[in-house]
Amino acid sequence: MIASRVIQTTSTIGTLLMALLMAPAAQAVPSFARQTGMACEACHTVFPELTHFGRMFKANAYTIDNLKPVRGITATKQEMLALSGLPPISLMVQVSETNLSKAVPDGVGTGNVSQSDTAAFPQQVSLFYAGKIAPQVGAFIQLTYSNASGTVGIDNTDLRYASNLLLPDDRSLIWGITANNNPTVQDLWNSTPAFGFPFDSSNAAVSPLAGTEIDGALAQDVAGISVYAMWNETLYGELGTYRSAKQGAANGLTGAAGPLDGTTSNVITGGAPYYRLAYEQQWSRNTLSVGLYGATFKLLPGGTAAAPASLTGPANEFRDVAEDFQFQMVGEKNLLTIAGTHIKENMTLGASFVPAGGGAAQNLKDDLTTTRLWGTWYYQRKYGATVEMFSTTGSADTGLYPAGPAPGVITSLNGLPDTKGWVAELNFMPWLNTRLSLQATQYSKFNGGSSNYDGFGRNASDNNTLYLLAWFNY
Amino acid sequence: MKTTLAIIGAALLLLGAPRSRADEISGDAQSAARQAAVTTCAICHGPQGRSIAPKFPSLAGQHSNYLAAQLKAFKAQTRGDPDALGYMWGMAAPLDDEMIEALAAYYSAQTPGHGRAGDAAEIARGADIYANGVAAEGIPPCIACHGPGAVGTDDFPRLAGQHAQYLLKQLRSFQSNLRNVAVMHGVAKELQAKEMSAVAAYLESLGGA
Repeated sequence: MIASRVIQTTSTIGTLLMALLMAPAAQAVPSFARQTGMACEACHTVFPELTHFGRMFKANAYTIDNLKPVRGITATKQEMLALSGLPPISLMVQVSETNLSKAVPDGVGTGNVSQSDTAAFPQQVSLFYAGKIAPQVGAFIQLTYSNASGTVGIDNTDLRYASNLLLPDDRSLIWGITANNNPTVQDLWNSTPAFGFPFDSSNAAVSPLAGTEIDGALAQDVAGISVYAMWNETLYGELGTYRSAKQGAANGLTGAAGPLDGTTSNVITGGAPYYRLAYEQQWSRNTLSVGLYGATFKLLPGGTAAAPASLTGPANEFRDVAEDFQFQMVGEKNLLTIAGTHIKENMTLGASFVPAGGGAAQNLKDDLTTTRLWGTWYYQRKYGATVEMFSTTGSADTGLYPAGPAPGVITSLNGLPDTKGWVAELNFMPWLNTRLSLQATQYSKFNGGSSNYDGFGRNASDNNTLYLLAWFNY
Repeated sequence: MKTTLAIIGAALLLLGAPRSRADEISGDAQSAARQAAVTTCAICHGPQGRSIAPKFPSLAGQHSNYLAAQLKAFKAQTRGDPDALGYMWGMAAPLDDEMIEALAAYYSAQTPGHGRAGDAAEIARGADIYANGVAAEGIPPCIACHGPGAVGTDDFPRLAGQHAQYLLKQLRSFQSNLRNVAVMHGVAKELQAKEMSAVAAYLESLGGA
């Protein structure tokens, strides 16, 4: 009940919950290995984290191809077709077991509790087309079956064109265009949200209320196009814009896929500008990148089929500015990554805030800050451990982060969005395309409180999660 | 008379000598090789073949005969050390002979990088093994094939300035026959780990042309 009201009325929470339901998992794709004839380690430290070569492969539109293609050329030797000899298809299967520290109240309101363990078989099955599709054009397309929805849907998708130019003194300039459906899914570093740690997490855990828009809230719900350039494998810049691209939405009058009307929620008005600047330095076996990224989303709250609300009028503005860094040491036996990101979101909630009161937001202006910092160590790409610190804090807003009239778990007694904690993960990779991992998530604060955060006696630590995952890519 | 014969002999030798391969490579192939070297090979082997990461060998100034032979061995999948399998079998698969010769010519024409200093005692020990071998273990001097200053010859690779990590991995691969080269297996099979490290450190310290 609370959750549905929140979805209808606030952009931040609604889009966050949708994103969580569709929780995209990060990937590594064996079809790339088949296409290049190169081992996983060329592109990945351990999947899905990219090495310098992996970043360049992505920047080059996934087109480095060492298979004999099916070709078509003109009389002037212009290449008109370069179809992969093998279709770049891969499968990913994840099965998992999740244990919640304390069972959540039964969703049907009987006063009992639900089970605290969830077996997911599968949690997710994904089909990828990942590789070259034409000269200078490549695609990473993911279709995912998720046990939460019980259906197949579009997942992370990145279509690219890239050109690699030779500059004087044998320097290079890659420039390209990406069309994608998740801000930062196109990024080359693993310090930005879409492909950052944790690379996978349980979809049967309790997720906090608040998250910034650029941090996955709009994943698979938008269409973006951007132009990027990378100079001499060091300096990267990108500029783009996003529009809403709703999946499963239909216009009430026409029954067609659009135009979007008031039965859809959190719709971008105009174009949401996206930018990215990064610098990477290599020395010896190390790389260090530092960067800046951000976007400004103006979202119309809209409504649902049951409670439509016009897609006109004032919008809620979310201005996200983020910094990130990534250090990688790729040794013969030991691999170390230290990475992090800091996202600051300033909200101006012109649609949700009503001066007279009664709006979906308590304040016109709110802010939210998310910080994640993690370190990963692998030995021989077989045994790995990661520790991550995460923190989201922000201004109190009892509209955005409301208390519930009944035990609701995803509520906040004091109207604060603050959630803090740690993730520790152990990995065993019997083969380079198979990962067995045990992940523990510990909350010191959840939705604004350490104890009794929901007003019904639930503590932050009750949401601690133990997650066992088997992850196969082939 | 003797002088004339000497001149005639020298001329015959010159006529009989193989032309430089670079002369036979078409302009198109040279351009394509340069494009590939800068936009693809450089990702691992560094700008103009001076690699940054010690996992990947520097190619700048390497002899074209050796480079071409290696690329052909990668393509034929007869060079079997771990990184050959993991990286170069795929990379070399689509290269034709002309492209192989053009890439080899491009890298052999680049200026080698500077050496990297290491532990002085280890380098001195390596220099001694390089110049004199280890008689007690039946290990011949490296200098016999790789030449003074480790600059190599047409058929034996340049080792000067090469990453020690790469050299060590190759020595181990020769030793285990993962990289199956009879001459080098013979040399490396009795080499102790410390001796390998010393030679690698010495070679890495050598720089310039």
